[in-house]
Amino acid sequence: MWKKMKTWLDVRIGLNDFVRTKIVDYRIPKNINIFYTLGFLAVIAYAVQAFTGIVLLIYYIPHPDHAFKSVQDIMAKVPYGWLFRQMHVVGSNLMITVAILHMITVFLMGNYKRPRELTWLGGGISLLLTIIFGFSGYLLPWTQLSYWATTVVTSMPTAFPVIGDSIALILRGGDQVTEVTLSRFFALHVAILPPIFLTFMGIHLLLINRIGISATPFGMVDEEKRPLTEYKRKTHPDGYPYYPVFFQKQMYMMMAYFAVMFFIVTFLPNLFFPEEANLPADPFKTPPHIRPAWYLLAPYQLLKLIPNKFFGITIQMILLTIFLAWPFLDTYQEKNVLKRPILRGVFIFLLVMWVVLLFWGRNP
Amino acid sequence: MKRRRFLKIILAFLGSITLFSFVNSFLKFLAALPARTAEINKLIIHKNEIPSGEAKNIIYRNAPAVIINRSDRGFIALSRVCTHFGCLVEYNRAERRLICPCHAGNFDLEGNVLSGPPPKPLRAIPLRIDGENIILG
Repeated sequence: MWKKMKTWLDVRIGLNDFVRTKIVDYRIPKNINIFYTLGFLAVIAYAVQAFTGIVLLIYYIPHPDHAFKSVQDIMAKVPYGWLFRQMHVVGSNLMITVAILHMITVFLMGNYKRPRELTWLGGGISLLLTIIFGFSGYLLPWTQLSYWATTVVTSMPTAFPVIGDSIALILRGGDQVTEVTLSRFFALHVAILPPIFLTFMGIHLLLINRIGISATPFGMVDEEKRPLTEYKRKTHPDGYPYYPVFFQKQMYMMMAYFAVMFFIVTFLPNLFFPEEANLPADPFKTPPHIRPAWYLLAPYQLLKLIPNKFFGITIQMILLTIFLAWPFLDTYQEKNVLKRPILRGVFIFLLVMWVVLLFWGRNP
Repeated sequence: MKRRRFLKIILAFLGSITLFSFVNSFLKFLAALPARTAEINKLIIHKNEIPSGEAKNIIYRNAPAVIINRSDRGFIALSRVCTHFGCLVEYNRAERRLICPCHAGNFDLEGNVLSGPPPKPLRAIPLRIDGENIILG
C-alpha cells in the first residue's frame, strides 16, 4: 500500500528524484558545525509561533473592553489555553534569541561575505520584522506593561522633524494609544506582517539554495576568494550527505529548543510576565519603572542616557543601517575573524556594550 | 517620437497617476479616526477640592491633565503627557515637582523642564477662577 502510494506520487511529481537530489545526494561541507543549524531552528521557532498564534486567535478579542479579559480567560478558563499562550510568549522570546544567535554566528564565520551580501540583508530584514512582530504582539493583551511600552515606542518617531508627528499619528491612529491602535497592531500582527515576513524569509532561503552553503573559514582554504565574475553555485562534492548527518544535528537542536521552551513554561512561568503584565491597561496611570521587552532594553537605555531625543534615535538608525549594509562595507577578503583583530575587538566591544545596556536598562 | 517611446511615456504617466492616487487614499485611510469618547470641553472644579500644596488629576479634552494648587502662586493646569515619550507625569508633593516614571524627566510646577530628557515644557492649559470655582475651557 505504502509502496503503491510512493509510486503514484513519484510518477506525478518526481518524488524519488526530489528525495535523491535535495536530501540524500545533497552534500554539505565536511567542517560544518552545530551553529549552522540555527537558521533551521529559527524556521522551526517561526512555525511554532504561527501555530500557537492561530490557536490563540480562536479566543482572543481585539477590543480594549475585552482584550485583557479574553487573555485572562485563555490562561484560566480555556482548557490548556495557558499552555498555548505560554508557548507563544516564551516562543517569541526564544525566536528572537535564536535569530540573534544566527546572525552573530554568521557574522563570526564571515558567511555574509560575497556573494552572500543579499542573503545577509534578507536575514537582517527578517530579524527586524521579527522584532516588529514581538512589539506589535506586545500591545494585544492590553496590560499596563503593553499599553505604556507601546506609548513610549510609538512616541519615538516624534523625534524626527516635519514628518515625525505624522508617523506617530499613523502608527497610533490618534494622539494616544486607544482602541484604534489596538486594531492597527492586531491587523499588523496577524495579517500584514506574516506575508511580508514570509516573502523575506522565502527570498533568504531561495538565496541560500541558489548560492549554496558556505564552508566555515576555520581550518580550510576559502574557495570564495576567486574573482567574482560569473554566477557559480557553491557545491561540496566531497562533503557529507545532508541526510542523515546534518539532519540529525538539526533534530538534536530542535529537541534542545523545545526542552528549553518547556523548561521555562514549567519551572519559570513568570519569567516574561512582570507584575505590570498582569494588570489591565490604565491609560491614566503610568506604572513606575516601565520598560520594554529585553530585546529592546539596550536601545531603550541608550535613549535614557542621551539627552537629545533626535540624536538618540538618529544614532540608533545609523547603527542599524551599518548592521544591514555591513557586507557591502566590509570588502576585506579574509573571512576568518580570528585573523582580524580590529574587527574582533569592535565586535566584542559592541557585544559587551549591548549586554551592559541591557542589564542597565533592567534596573529602575 | 517613436511609437514605442510614446507608449512608454504614456505607461509611466498612467502608472504615476495610479500610484499617487492610491498612496494618497491609503495615507488618508490610515489617518486618525475621531475620538469615540465624548470630549469634555468645559470642566468646573471647586477650589476646596485641591488644598494648598496638593494636586488633582483630571481628564480634559480626552487627555490626562493635572491642576496644582501652588502655595505661593495659586492654581495652574498642566497636561500630564510627558513631552519626551508620552508617559504620564506624577505630582510629587515632597519635591514640589512633576516626575515622569519612564525616563526620569523632572518638571517644575510651571511645567518647565528641570532635568532629564524631555525636550519641551509640559503644555499649560488655560484656566480661570470664578469665585470658588476653577474653570477650564
